[in-house]
Amino acid sequence: MQQKIDLPGVRHIVAVASAKGGVGKSTVTANLALALKAQGHRVGLMDADIYGPSLPQMLGVTTDEWDRTPEPVEKYGVKLMSMGLLIDPDQAAAMRGPMIHKYLQAFLTQFQWGELDFLLVDMPPGTGDAQMSLAQLVPVTGAVVVTLPQQVSVAVVRRGLAMFQTVRVPVLGLIENMSYFVADDGKRYYIFGQGGGERIARETGIPFLGSIPIDPRITESGDRGDPIVHAEPNSSIAQTYLQIAQRMKAELDRCAREVAPLPELDL
Amino acid sequence: MNATRPQLRPVSLRKEGDEFLLIEWSDGHVSRHTWRNLRSNCPCASCREERQRPPDPFHILKPHEIPRGPLRPVAMKPVGYYAYTIAWSDGHSTGIYTFDLLRSLCECPQCVNNSTTQSPPGSTSSFMPQS
Repeated sequence: MQQKIDLPGVRHIVAVASAKGGVGKSTVTANLALALKAQGHRVGLMDADIYGPSLPQMLGVTTDEWDRTPEPVEKYGVKLMSMGLLIDPDQAAAMRGPMIHKYLQAFLTQFQWGELDFLLVDMPPGTGDAQMSLAQLVPVTGAVVVTLPQQVSVAVVRRGLAMFQTVRVPVLGLIENMSYFVADDGKRYYIFGQGGGERIARETGIPFLGSIPIDPRITESGDRGDPIVHAEPNSSIAQTYLQIAQRMKAELDRCAREVAPLPELDL
Repeated sequence: MNATRPQLRPVSLRKEGDEFLLIEWSDGHVSRHTWRNLRSNCPCASCREERQRPPDPFHILKPHEIPRGPLRPVAMKPVGYYAYTIAWSDGHSTGIYTFDLLRSLCECPQCVNNSTTQSPPGSTSSFMPQS
């Protein structure tokens, strides 16, 4: 089962994760991908959330846009593959762990990702099959972890960090999502509490990449299939994403670990 | 907790005779293992359960439990960037030996002396399945 996959054309595989659900991983992944694209990189997006794929809708791609070829769908200059493209919207991917492993393997091997600077992988919540499979199948360069400021999220995210440590995937940084809401009076309201993301970053020594506010424009643009970094590139939110992408790349360069292939024995 | 720090990894694997495996690590240590010890510490779920079960004095061997010749490793391949699997001549290959586990199973005189004062390998959180 642990067949290692070689993706010679892909420079960095970055997992976007958080052990907790509902923190906005897919929204962050889509916008981060478009930020990297805007900075001139070749970017692929792989939706590892087999049960609840949301990237196709966020990028405005429907099932009939994939022509059943081994080519990922391209949207806004970013290559995408997702379970959401393989099955109808009213169909459920009802399957157990080993099938998740097979689908991830297929996404990685049967699609021609070509030459990419970044393959961002939108992870499902949890520390289960998809996470273990990805870490076992490909040399993941690093993970970006998304959290909410609230303690409940921080506590679960801690478990996610521990998992990455177990499988030795470097954590490139933390992104705090839904950090605050700016009301009409210009005042910031910290709806989910304040500073949880920065606190855990400080405690664990993991770089803090940035905070993203709660803003209806983010949700609306995602629902419309045109994420805010692409739809409103001059907005302050898009600028925040560009900064986050910049910091993530700096961290990648800094901690670019020796990816010397591990020795093996054939007897 | 920070997973970004540079980490220990094997730089070479060597077989010594039929009995030993030598692993050279990035910190310069060369750990010494007997294949037999690695096999009997297989971290896969079935082997862990087997080890925890009380011995059955009336157990009757089934044909497939009788080894055909001595146990040999067939291959040792990396899993991701954190572990190895070992395929054995008896067909077993489900154990995922993390680097930490391999290091703790080192049987070189220095490590054996150090470990007499510490808890035996695998004793911490051994209720957790590893793969």
